[in-house]
Amino acid sequence: MPKSQYVDPGKVFVPGSITFTDIPSCQYKKTLAQEKKIYTKDDFLRIYRDMRIIREFETMLNDIKVKSEYNGIKYNNPGPAHLSIGQEASAVGEAYCLDINDFTFGSHRSHGEILAKGLSSIHKLDDAELYDIMKDFFGGDILKVVEGKQEKAGDVRDLAIDFLLYGALAEIFARTTGFNRGLGGSMHAFFIPFGIFPNNAIVGGAAPVALGAALYKRANHKKGIVIANSGDGATGRGPVLEALNMSAMRQITELWGMDGKYSSDGMPILFNVFNNFYGMGGQTQGETMAYDSPARLGAGFNVAQLHAERVNGYDPLAVIDATTRKKELLLAGKGPALLEVATYRISGHSPSDSSTYRTAEEIEAWKAACPIAAYRAKMVKGGIATDEEFAAIEESIVRRMEKICKLAIDDELSPRMDLDKDPAMISSLMFSNNSVKSMDPTREPEVLMPKEENPRVKQLATKARYAYDEKGAAIPKIKLFGVRDAIFESILDKFYEDPTTIAYGEDNRDWGGAFAVYRGLTEALPYHRFFNSPISESAIVGSAVGYAMAGGRAIVELMYADFIGCAGDEIFNQLSKWQSMSAGILKMPVVIRVSVGSKYGAQHSQDWTALTAHIPGLKVCFPSTPYDAKGLMNAALAGTDPVIFFESQRIYDKGEEFHKEGVPTEYYEVPFGEPDVKREGKDVTILTIGAVLYRAMDAAKILEEKYGISAEVIDTRSIVPFNYEKVLESVKKTGRIIIVGDAVDRNSVMRDMASNIAEMAFDYLDAPPVVFGSRNWITPAFELEKYFFPQADGIVDVICQKIMPIAGHVCTINESEIEHIERNKKGI
Amino acid sequence: MATPVIMPRQGQSVESCIITAWNKKVGDTVAEGDILFSYETDKSAFDEPAQVSGTILAILANDGDVVPCLDTVCYIGEAGEDISALVKADAPAAAAPAAEEKKEEAPAAAAAPAAAPAVATKAEGDMIRISPRAKNLALQSGVDMTKVVPTGPHGRIIERDINAALDAGFVANAAAVEAFLAGNPIVTEEEAPAAAAPAAAAPVADDVLAYTEEPMTGIRKVISRQMHASLSEMAQLTLNSSFDATAMMNFRATLKANGEAMGLGKISLNDMVLYAVSRTLLNHPTINANLVGENFRLFKHANIGMAVDTERGLLVPTIFGAEKMSLAEISAAAKGAAAKARDGKLSPDEMSGGSFTVTNLGSMGVESFTPVINPPQTAILGVCAITQRVRADGTTYPAMGLSLTFDHRAVDGAPAARFLADLCKALENFGLLLAK
Repeated sequence: MPKSQYVDPGKVFVPGSITFTDIPSCQYKKTLAQEKKIYTKDDFLRIYRDMRIIREFETMLNDIKVKSEYNGIKYNNPGPAHLSIGQEASAVGEAYCLDINDFTFGSHRSHGEILAKGLSSIHKLDDAELYDIMKDFFGGDILKVVEGKQEKAGDVRDLAIDFLLYGALAEIFARTTGFNRGLGGSMHAFFIPFGIFPNNAIVGGAAPVALGAALYKRANHKKGIVIANSGDGATGRGPVLEALNMSAMRQITELWGMDGKYSSDGMPILFNVFNNFYGMGGQTQGETMAYDSPARLGAGFNVAQLHAERVNGYDPLAVIDATTRKKELLLAGKGPALLEVATYRISGHSPSDSSTYRTAEEIEAWKAACPIAAYRAKMVKGGIATDEEFAAIEESIVRRMEKICKLAIDDELSPRMDLDKDPAMISSLMFSNNSVKSMDPTREPEVLMPKEENPRVKQLATKARYAYDEKGAAIPKIKLFGVRDAIFESILDKFYEDPTTIAYGEDNRDWGGAFAVYRGLTEALPYHRFFNSPISESAIVGSAVGYAMAGGRAIVELMYADFIGCAGDEIFNQLSKWQSMSAGILKMPVVIRVSVGSKYGAQHSQDWTALTAHIPGLKVCFPSTPYDAKGLMNAALAGTDPVIFFESQRIYDKGEEFHKEGVPTEYYEVPFGEPDVKREGKDVTILTIGAVLYRAMDAAKILEEKYGISAEVIDTRSIVPFNYEKVLESVKKTGRIIIVGDAVDRNSVMRDMASNIAEMAFDYLDAPPVVFGSRNWITPAFELEKYFFPQADGIVDVICQKIMPIAGHVCTINESEIEHIERNKKGI
Repeated sequence: MATPVIMPRQGQSVESCIITAWNKKVGDTVAEGDILFSYETDKSAFDEPAQVSGTILAILANDGDVVPCLDTVCYIGEAGEDISALVKADAPAAAAPAAEEKKEEAPAAAAAPAAAPAVATKAEGDMIRISPRAKNLALQSGVDMTKVVPTGPHGRIIERDINAALDAGFVANAAAVEAFLAGNPIVTEEEAPAAAAPAAAAPVADDVLAYTEEPMTGIRKVISRQMHASLSEMAQLTLNSSFDATAMMNFRATLKANGEAMGLGKISLNDMVLYAVSRTLLNHPTINANLVGENFRLFKHANIGMAVDTERGLLVPTIFGAEKMSLAEISAAAKGAAAKARDGKLSPDEMSGGSFTVTNLGSMGVESFTPVINPPQTAILGVCAITQRVRADGTTYPAMGLSLTFDHRAVDGAPAARFLADLCKALENFGLLLAK
């Protein structure tokens, strides 16, 4: 809501029309004579070679899947093989003009894209650069296998082609000599040094991720463009549409320039849709989509219609022409762009596809139009090269593929991970656990004012950093340095330390975040580091993933934790998995701030720690004091792992009530995984998750003052990772534990912890570990919340009913076993 | 009439605001729309414009003050207007500290039936419900499980119930332990796990009062209770005597010199004392007895308890039917029991059923002491060090001291002294004793 953009009622209602321009379709008309001026004979032959390599590579995979044999080499590959036979001209045409500064992201059908981009990069790098890349990658593990085996001894490019094909195939066959140690596999192979970024088994998953990489280039002034490849089926997915919109959001050209101070270039991203007309078996053109052509989408997004056009994907030269034009456009600051490359997949979706959804005639017709054969015929006819020359290229490719195949299935040269010998191999890749203060120490952070002049910083200087005065009296909330201030302080410090750090989400700028955490950031930061995103949670989180992949640090906010569902794939499949699927090559320094609501009912009040804690690869924390909030945010922002940072709207204004020295102004970290004893006791342990800490403290007071029972209160602070030692120590002392939190009871983190504690402290327990969470209901209105969320009295009741009856205590809620059996019977 | 200016309420949840700066002071004239003061909530900052024109007559809150929403912060009116009545009415509110969020009073809920303290000794069936923690404590402390009243949910015995039984002095006898074990088939462990390592308090530098606090171990607690009960419930007194140990020592020398080959080389002086006790006890029924309430249990056998010093504390295994054992058998039994005690492998059965106890501090040079009776026994013999004594003729002899503590409720001084004299005589003539 920038005040500079006046929404004028006088203009909004003026009669008129919204106009469109024609979207070009297959208008490439260059003659061979014209093309000969652009390409040398070598170029023409290389285009053929690259298409033919891809065809042979996929033919090999298909043969292995279908016949367990390729040219007499026997092998069984149980993994997936989503082939794109027929689409080679599209892939080679796209990659032709790209270099290693141009990043490509792909779909689950991307073998062709990977190889084409790799071959193009190999052609553009010089021998020394190429050799260094191969030598440095995994300490030369891949190079060792292929070196000395190439046909043209001493030819580094020839060696590099072997390297590329072998690295990709070994990855597909899950070998440790694959590009990602075999942890990515067919649908996730990639090779960053050639600018080949991850492909994605989730249809459409790559679009927002690619947007993030483009954002990284845009916000950090990096060279090159980003291409988000997808199939036509992916355009039915929300994240793709969100990414299209967010990449073209008007602020980038309207506001980010900040009156000439910074660049107002558009986002340097090309959405490249390989339209093969089928999303698996559903025909997009006539059946599952509303459009007749994906290029039509451009008209819906911005005035420039995303510069959309359809190009003939069966003509590599037409694709080269189109991609080159789009790249120029992006480099001139006119992005984003959309290109539909019309093509056709002759092979099935996978080897088990019996093509029940299309006719044999259709497949035959497209086979007859084979882009490789047509190109070769055109070249021979046009006198560029003889058929014998093409035959020789073909022959050498087959020889190369047989060699690569044999190497990749050789268990000695290409072993799989030995989890007997090193059982921790995958465990050690789940988190990177690095501490990196600045992702780019060579640059100064771009800020709008010195930190100390910031109005919020000045205001916070007057606040009390401990909740009680010298006499022990409570200081009024409004004078306290609260949880929201602690989070702000940590983030602001990071913005002044790491030039790559950016933050965005809904209503972050100007408004200062819906809960005022970011008040003061607008004054401090230029737009390209801190902006309002569209209401597009998938694009918000997905782009953060891509931003981190490209080398930056991102802090994104989802406002309410309930919106995690809107970014489900991006959190559960993208953010969490890329570090380990890349065998540690990629780092994921992303903090997702989510806020647990209160007073806002069923869709705005949920503690969803369990959903995120369930997914391997995510760190999850839920601080509830200013000291812990700042310390954990500092730790999160120094780390290189993805963190889901839960906050609670109940306690943003809470001052520091536990840490007597107050919240330090200087830097410190609260280590992830360490719970904190907030109150010592000896009779019963209360383990808390999140804001319920304060209700647990009240319960401890009731227990002490009314019943002489001494409760120890431990705040989990982090959920993943979690060190149980302190809790077990406490349980050994008290013999009793109740775990409380605001999440609904069923399948909660509390349940998981109770089960672990029961296993690890069984002999010391005087009662089973007891869980007291919220009811398995919708969250009711604020006035009824006490019947839903655990309250202090309820905690005492549950201890009385399940752990140790307390003489004289009158319970007001029913937590009996019979009641629980009934609730479970009914699923409530 | 002066117009009061109130602190606006910026949103439902805002209860008070902080005044950050006044733009006007008392006496200033203001026009409608002039900014009077700036203020902020915890989320946002605002400027408050004047709604009327006039002169600032009074300002009730200063920069930095927290003012509850809707309270008056200043008055605007005609210059010179008297507003004392208005200001007085507002004064208390303005002076009062910012109201903190009031805790919502929970309406008194209909009282659900409280979990009544459990009185049943056992839940349904014969299964004993007991928490793992309570079970551990029971095994360590040897509490009499038949006396434990469960107070946990579902009639479960929990830790506090065991402690209550211990406090009441319900220490286990063998039958009780057996009943408990039989009633709870889960209990098969030979040894209860060691208690959690006590956390040592960090020593404070240069603090002469520094100490570490360590909880009693289970065994210590049992000993503590038993010894205190022993001294507080009985009428104990000790008789000291000594005898010429020449015969014993000679016999011991013979064993050392020639007994090795026969496997008798390890027989100790203490074994000989145990042997003599086993042969003397049955002639003194009230010494070889337990006093339970007002009844004597006069044992038909000499079940001699033997005090063993272990790392975990004092343990007293019983040598059952010692009167029928040879010296070599007694020696072997004593050594076996001591080893088991030190290894912590004694079962409760092996530590109960004693009719009399022998304790030995002589090996540590103690010349005389007052042993404490192991209840409900009636007496205990302390074996003391051997010292050289002078006969009337000036020659010396090795004299071993004996200290007999007895419960005067059960035994009088003369019969106790007679037992001691008989024992001394038997030991002085050890060779003859063996021949009996």
